[in-house]
Amino acid sequence: MMKPVMVIGGGVAGIQAALDLADRGLKVHLVEKTPSIGGVMAQLDKTLPTMDCSICILAPKMIECFRHPNITIHTQSRVKDVSGGAGDFEVKVLKEPRSVDEAKCTGCGVCSQKCPTKVKDEWQEGLTTRKSIYIMFPQAVPLTATIDRDNCLYFQKGICQVCSKVCPAGAIDYEQKAEEIDLNVSSIVVATGFQEYDPAELKEYGYGRFKDVLTAMEFERLVCASGPTGGHLNRPSDGKLAHRVAFVQCVGSRSHKKGYPYCSSVCCMYATKEAVLIKEHDPTSEVNVFYMDLKVFGKGFQQFVDRAKSHYGVKYVRGRPGEIRMNPLTKDLTIWYEDTNTGDVSSTEADLVVLCTTMIARPENHELAHALGLELDEWGFFKPLNPLTNPVETGMPGVFLCGCSHGPRDIPESVAEASGAAACAAEVARRFA
Amino acid sequence: MKYTLYPGCTIQSDQFGYEASVRETLPRLGVELVDMKGASCCGFPALSSVSKVGWHYLSARNLAIAEKMGHPLLPLCNGCHLSFVETMHFLEEDPELMNIVNGNLEKEGLRYGGKVKVVHLLEVLHDKVGAAKISSLVVKPLKGLKMASHPGCHAIRPSDLQKVDDAEDPQKLDALIRALGAETFDYPEKIDCCGSQLAVASGRTTLKIAGDKLKAVKSYGFDGLVTTCPFCFKMYDGRQRAIKGALKDNTLDVPVFYYTQLLGLALGSSPERLGLQMNMSPVDSLVERITE
Amino acid sequence: MAAGIDEREVKFISLMLSRAVGGMNAEVCDQCGKCSSACPVSKEIEGFNPRQMIGKVALGKNDELLKGDAIWTCTTCLKCRERCPEEISPYDVILILRNLAYRAGYNYPGGYDDFIQGVKESGYISRPQTVRTRDGGKLSREDLGLPEVEGPEDMERFREIVEMIVKAGKSR
Repeated sequence: MMKPVMVIGGGVAGIQAALDLADRGLKVHLVEKTPSIGGVMAQLDKTLPTMDCSICILAPKMIECFRHPNITIHTQSRVKDVSGGAGDFEVKVLKEPRSVDEAKCTGCGVCSQKCPTKVKDEWQEGLTTRKSIYIMFPQAVPLTATIDRDNCLYFQKGICQVCSKVCPAGAIDYEQKAEEIDLNVSSIVVATGFQEYDPAELKEYGYGRFKDVLTAMEFERLVCASGPTGGHLNRPSDGKLAHRVAFVQCVGSRSHKKGYPYCSSVCCMYATKEAVLIKEHDPTSEVNVFYMDLKVFGKGFQQFVDRAKSHYGVKYVRGRPGEIRMNPLTKDLTIWYEDTNTGDVSSTEADLVVLCTTMIARPENHELAHALGLELDEWGFFKPLNPLTNPVETGMPGVFLCGCSHGPRDIPESVAEASGAAACAAEVARRFA
Repeated sequence: MKYTLYPGCTIQSDQFGYEASVRETLPRLGVELVDMKGASCCGFPALSSVSKVGWHYLSARNLAIAEKMGHPLLPLCNGCHLSFVETMHFLEEDPELMNIVNGNLEKEGLRYGGKVKVVHLLEVLHDKVGAAKISSLVVKPLKGLKMASHPGCHAIRPSDLQKVDDAEDPQKLDALIRALGAETFDYPEKIDCCGSQLAVASGRTTLKIAGDKLKAVKSYGFDGLVTTCPFCFKMYDGRQRAIKGALKDNTLDVPVFYYTQLLGLALGSSPERLGLQMNMSPVDSLVERITE
Repeated sequence: MAAGIDEREVKFISLMLSRAVGGMNAEVCDQCGKCSSACPVSKEIEGFNPRQMIGKVALGKNDELLKGDAIWTCTTCLKCRERCPEEISPYDVILILRNLAYRAGYNYPGGYDDFIQGVKESGYISRPQTVRTRDGGKLSREDLGLPEVEGPEDMERFREIVEMIVKAGKSR
């Protein structure tokens, strides 16, 4: 009898790995840190180069995970400790309490409606607020509320409890405690993904000081119909519709000074995607992409950029901007740049600036690497056994990597690796059955 | 708080209004100033462009004298301050340079040991004395005055060598301006260069660079500009007439002050003791407003 | 009278340059353009572009730069050094190039000679002046009660040293 396999991380890579394993007849424990699976892909507006609605193509897979008889999803869960080896891992998983009974909650959302608090919404990249009791996003899987105890009036001050009064299913359970679950698995797939570089330290770009300088993820939420402005490009400072948008590439990457020296691989393409989105919203808008090199190595990528230029009229300027300034009266932004192809040093105005930030390693990788006995590279990403010959294996037999857990890559690559890691993990399960 | 004062060439020779305002105000904040004997030019920009060795030798010379005296060194000019910081850095990094420099200092009975501390006026006023203390001593607040802060390039950059203030978002001079009861706010051109170092090679461009900043300052509704560097001051104040000519803008009238001049007025000193006679920009109406 | 640069100079240039930029060569420059777009002079003078200058240094075209005016047109604002993602400092490179141009006997702004002359005479660029005041009057250091300016105690010795150093900087 084959033992279950664990997949750590519920983003698109983890979901793919889980489904591949489950379809082969293996039991899967899908461990996800946040209240819902989906990861970053669920936050994106569209995917490239087909411009499909991101959540629309991801959600069916998320539901499949939920319904699959072989997959058990553990949300709000983290791997605390691992012992044993390939074929026989003993994993301690710590599950944080939702304070909501998952079996009873119907996801109706009345609790959130009545909750009197307001908290910065991380899923909306801080562009708007949520309540202390909330459902992470409309397509969340599981569609279950969770209480953020750090901001909940009951847990902090012992008052309120409105949610338990209005919940029609009686699902609120303030007494719920953290759970430690012991799982015995034959192999493990690490699909923990990435985090966005915080560009605040690149002060010349004004992120944090100038409200209309956004990160790429913030922009994705802004332009998405499920975002804070219903997908309209109303800029944060004064709500003015952004007609002129500038993209700055390589923010936090390709730098030995601040940020990281590596190339983040996907930004040239996602900037093009976002630029095209803006043009689709408003064909008369002015969109400039300030780049160093255009990384168009994937299938259809060069053609996508060509279309962005010729069909949509997106302007590409080869020059990393030296600085961004904000007019204190109008809030409009001025970008100083050199068009290094012509040698012209000049400036352009924008209503909104998108900093195409680098993918960086999650700080939690350290804890997980320690627990699993894995090596991290100098930037905190997991190290594969050999990037050329064993790209999804690690130094620990039975533990496999996929997706951005081991470096910046895009969705197609992450999904392909997930299938690769799943196959390897399945083989271990079979061998030790 | 005791500091060895190093005014430097420009201030001593023709910007001594700044020196007067420093000598007038700092003691009242509890800062004791000691004069140097035998000092010389710091070498920037006099020798830096033609002889790096000469440049570092000149700066090291003054650092060596200050080291003997035992107190932290307080240069009043941004340029001198950075010159000392860079020299200390290069001497530490390059033993060969250190040998050449000390070999020459020996001839004057001096030695650079790398033990002297160099501080900037902003550090003394903001970090050591503090905006709160300054505020408590103000008798003539600069109420209703909006003053633009111009800390100057060589006070804030490069951030890997000096930490006087944040290189992209400096706020210390702003805090000191507010301590006097005046208003200030961020503006896009705040950390732009005055262009003075360009004067020796291209006068016209210098005037344009400086003029652009003055125009910007005026456009945001500031009543005047505040600086801590004699090169910047000379550019914005002394050459304001030439700037107006170069920009063909006769209405460009921006009062320019050294911070310690405003500090002195706020503490109740008379304008003459602060060298305000030497400001060539139209400062009279503001001075009247403050002192009435 | 200007002269060319020989082998030893090229080696010396490389050494000075690599020291000047903290051991990192101009060769790592990606030509991204952050320095040039931050540079206040680049915005005004078409012939001045720190990115292009570093590009030339990386390709060994120093002689071109040494002979030109561009290297003398930097205002030392340090924005290039502050912002370069590869920790290259066009400011430092330009300063070294100036030293080398002076050494090679190429053209340089005469103002620097005046500075040096002043330092040799009094220890400072210029002696204390009686300045004109805003209202048309005159003012001296004494008028403001300021102490007399004293230069180096042994001016002879000091002058000798400065002369020698400056002369050593000029190889021709």
